[in-house]
Amino acid sequence: MRTTRRQFLALSGGALTTAALRLDVAPAFAQNTPVKLGVLAAKAGVLAPVGESGLRGVQWATERINAAGGILGRKIELIVEEESSPKDTVERFRKLSLQDKVDAISGVISTGTGLALGPVAEEMKTIWLSWDATTQKGVEETMPKPKYSFRSTDNEAEAVMASILTARHFKGTFRTVAGINPDYSYGRDNWAAFLAIMKKYGIETQVVSELWPKLGATDFTAHVAALQQAKPDLIFSCFWAGDTPIFLKQAHAAGLTAKAKLVLTTGGGVHESLKKAFTPEGAILGYNCLYFDWAKASPLQKEFVRWHHEKFKEWPNYESDHGYFTIVAYKAAVERAAKAAAGKWPTQDAVIAALEGVEAESLSGPRRFREDHIMEATFFQGSTTHKNAYDFVTIDPVETMTTKQIQKPSGVGLYDWINSWKV
Amino acid sequence: MIRAAAGVALVALLLAMPRLAPPYPITLLLPAFAYGIALLGLNLLFGTTGLLSFGHALFVALGAYTAAWLTTRCHVMAFEAIVAVAALAAAVVAVPVGLLCVRYVKIYFSMLTLAFGMLFYSFLYKFYALTGGDEGIRVLRPSLLGRGFADLDKVGFLTGPFYYYALAMLALAALVMRRIARSPLGLSLRAIRENADKAAFVGVSVRRYRFYAFVIAAVFGAVGGTLLAVPTGLADPLLAYWTHSGNLVFMLLLGGFDHFLGPLVGAAAFIFLQDFVMSLTVYWRFVFGALLAVIVIFFPRGLLGLLPPERAA
Amino acid sequence: MLFLVAAGLQLVFGVQKILNLACGSFYALGAYVGVSAAAWALGHGLPAPLFVVALLAGGLALAVIGPPIERLLGTVYDRDESFQLLLTFALVLMLEDVIRFVWGTAPVQLGDAYLVYGRITVAGSTIPVYNLVVIAASGLIAVGMGLLLTRTRFGRIVRATAENREMSEALGVDRRRVYARVFTLGVALGTVGGALVIPATAAVSEMAIDVIVEAFAVVVIGGLGSMRGAFVGALIVGVLKAGAIATWPEVEMLAIYVVVIGVLVLRPAGLFAGAAP
Repeated sequence: MRTTRRQFLALSGGALTTAALRLDVAPAFAQNTPVKLGVLAAKAGVLAPVGESGLRGVQWATERINAAGGILGRKIELIVEEESSPKDTVERFRKLSLQDKVDAISGVISTGTGLALGPVAEEMKTIWLSWDATTQKGVEETMPKPKYSFRSTDNEAEAVMASILTARHFKGTFRTVAGINPDYSYGRDNWAAFLAIMKKYGIETQVVSELWPKLGATDFTAHVAALQQAKPDLIFSCFWAGDTPIFLKQAHAAGLTAKAKLVLTTGGGVHESLKKAFTPEGAILGYNCLYFDWAKASPLQKEFVRWHHEKFKEWPNYESDHGYFTIVAYKAAVERAAKAAAGKWPTQDAVIAALEGVEAESLSGPRRFREDHIMEATFFQGSTTHKNAYDFVTIDPVETMTTKQIQKPSGVGLYDWINSWKV
Repeated sequence: MIRAAAGVALVALLLAMPRLAPPYPITLLLPAFAYGIALLGLNLLFGTTGLLSFGHALFVALGAYTAAWLTTRCHVMAFEAIVAVAALAAAVVAVPVGLLCVRYVKIYFSMLTLAFGMLFYSFLYKFYALTGGDEGIRVLRPSLLGRGFADLDKVGFLTGPFYYYALAMLALAALVMRRIARSPLGLSLRAIRENADKAAFVGVSVRRYRFYAFVIAAVFGAVGGTLLAVPTGLADPLLAYWTHSGNLVFMLLLGGFDHFLGPLVGAAAFIFLQDFVMSLTVYWRFVFGALLAVIVIFFPRGLLGLLPPERAA
Repeated sequence: MLFLVAAGLQLVFGVQKILNLACGSFYALGAYVGVSAAAWALGHGLPAPLFVVALLAGGLALAVIGPPIERLLGTVYDRDESFQLLLTFALVLMLEDVIRFVWGTAPVQLGDAYLVYGRITVAGSTIPVYNLVVIAASGLIAVGMGLLLTRTRFGRIVRATAENREMSEALGVDRRRVYARVFTLGVALGTVGGALVIPATAAVSEMAIDVIVEAFAVVVIGGLGSMRGAFVGALIVGVLKAGAIATWPEVEMLAIYVVVIGVLVLRPAGLFAGAAP
């Protein structure tokens, strides 16, 4: 067998590359300094339960990755700071970036804070992987081409899914509708999306009441009274915090939930507090991106749910999954970029490029970041049932939809997109 | 003499800071300067006039929203114009509010200012189209003295030109406040605090002077608010919430309200302390509450109260 | 409910001239302790309909924090009122974290206690009987307070002290003891209020900061230091809120502050001026 010149060159080139690879790799692995990841988690106020849940997901991911040797041999070190008002959170972000010099920052739930942090991440040139905060103002993206921010699914994705389910299951059984939603962009966007989709499906609806209690309100007697007056056939609500059980309890006590159908897009955020005593069966309830009791759950999800329940005596909610995904996505991106860089620890730009379109297994199945930095995930909703071993409601049957079905594609307006559906 | 030397040394140190310290502490000094200006105003009310406002955050928020409105909706980038408009807006709001508030003293004054602050908060929160609701409005990077500094990134801008600009504004505000405190107005206000009846007897129009103090304080608050909004890049309703007003009073007390430099020391001490304690424990609010209690009970004259007393500031 | 918080605020203010920012925190503490007490009692075999007793006991027991806090405030009695106000602000900050430390951040609630007494239908709308129990309890407490203040020796002393500290002291009243008792009573009103409301809602950590603003509104509308004012003020705020929600939900919060400011401007001492400013 004759060795041609070309083959020889290719061979020696390969050998050279291998040698080079060895030389480069060795210091990177020997270095062994930890990867520093900043975390911004809400610790007080109405966001706190969800903030803690996200932090648990981050911590679990970190423990597992570190136990398995870290990212390319480097352990992850978490530096946790508090998400609070936009002003203070911006300052904490700067601290993580300038003083702790973290490699990336994971966290943030509030959309208002997200709006403030989006530009800051770009200014500080720090990768920011949001849990739940978007950089939408209304339903418009304020940062069409961000470089450093990677954000969560659209605010209104869960409303889109809940509305499709409403049309599918309740069509023809209701005409008058009422909305009671928290008084901020999330509530307003979800309600508007619901009405738009009802129209698209050709369902004649008449809005009899629109209520906007403050997020985290603890007294709904007046709202319930107003709803009783309005006598809606269907009540739509995107409550997700401690206000959800309070509203349901007071609505149930007034006999409201026995008469009206209920659509709760995001109540799964506080699913354990939705006790059977006051949460009716047959309501549409959304768990966002993680349903703890899913029969078809992956072994990974089952393991996490078990760990979470043993450690905290609580069943986890979606925010854990958001937190978990940001960490494994970062790891996957670093490894993907390292492959392209011959095993070396990649530059920040290479990590960003690799995060675009990165896929990783989250607690609720595969997830990815779209090329425009927006998360793609699977959503879980269904009809509430009392037939379970808990003292709170679960859903059966469980219906799933991916963001391909319920999130507007890149660069398209929400309502244009809805109008383009074929129903 | 010694105090003058100390003052010069302090100014020299602050001028040299961007060269001495890493960027993060510098970015923390910016809100300290901003709060310093706002507190100079609050101090005129509380320290000099004896009126405790629990609604001063209203004016800080007003300044921040002015900056937000002008930069994002009207495309006015000149920071000088923003400050001027904010000061004007504060005065316009402070005239009716002040006319009502200064009719009361002590607790009644505190409650009324708190109510006005919360009224403004609800307005910001509820009137979506105008104020952006809970999300607030973004504040874009302004130009300083006509220069945009496009070659600098935001950290470079904040720790460079904007730092010196804010420092200069603070110095200017301090000088103006010193003039006010030493003017007949300041003296009358002090007389009112000591004994309103006596002051009225010797011909001081108590209410009118209190009103002047209220409006001046509001203007300082709004100017501080504009400076505060630029590093954050956002004006949001929480700036007007009553606990923010409470924090302002806390800062003032921390520094020492009967000392001219109290506001500046208090703002800086509060911010660096918050930075430190927040990283240390999630229960930083408890630490702060305990600290406030200790100050109120044992050191009512604040950090600067530990220094030998000042002659007629 | 709001009435009880406001009544506590009124009492303390009327007598001691302290404006207590921390009354909201006492309310929140009462709610949390109420849940814990009731859950514990029900877990130990208390028949369900008696859970209110556990709630009340929890709320009342919590009043033990009254005297030490009063002593703390006592250190600044001789100074400007502003310092007392600030000290209560310090309490707000501290108690928020105490709650977080003890009960965590998740909403805490009593499962199905709310409907133990069933529901009744009045004029077409359904009302849980428990709401009536609470209204009755508030009414009883209001009457009880009225009797306490007007008919008993303690009440006379309290009113005398409110009227004129120096004079009552000269007549041999132990001011510190009266203050401690009055303050504790004020705390108890707040904590019992919090405990009573909890079956209908859930305890969340931010309730302290939110309720204080409404309690203030009630107090200002009703007139500082006036018990009757607190009652009427609470009614006005409640009706106003319900009315705003039914007609124009956008102005729910605004309406309350507008009325507050209106009252302060037109009738600075409130609709039922008790102690003159």
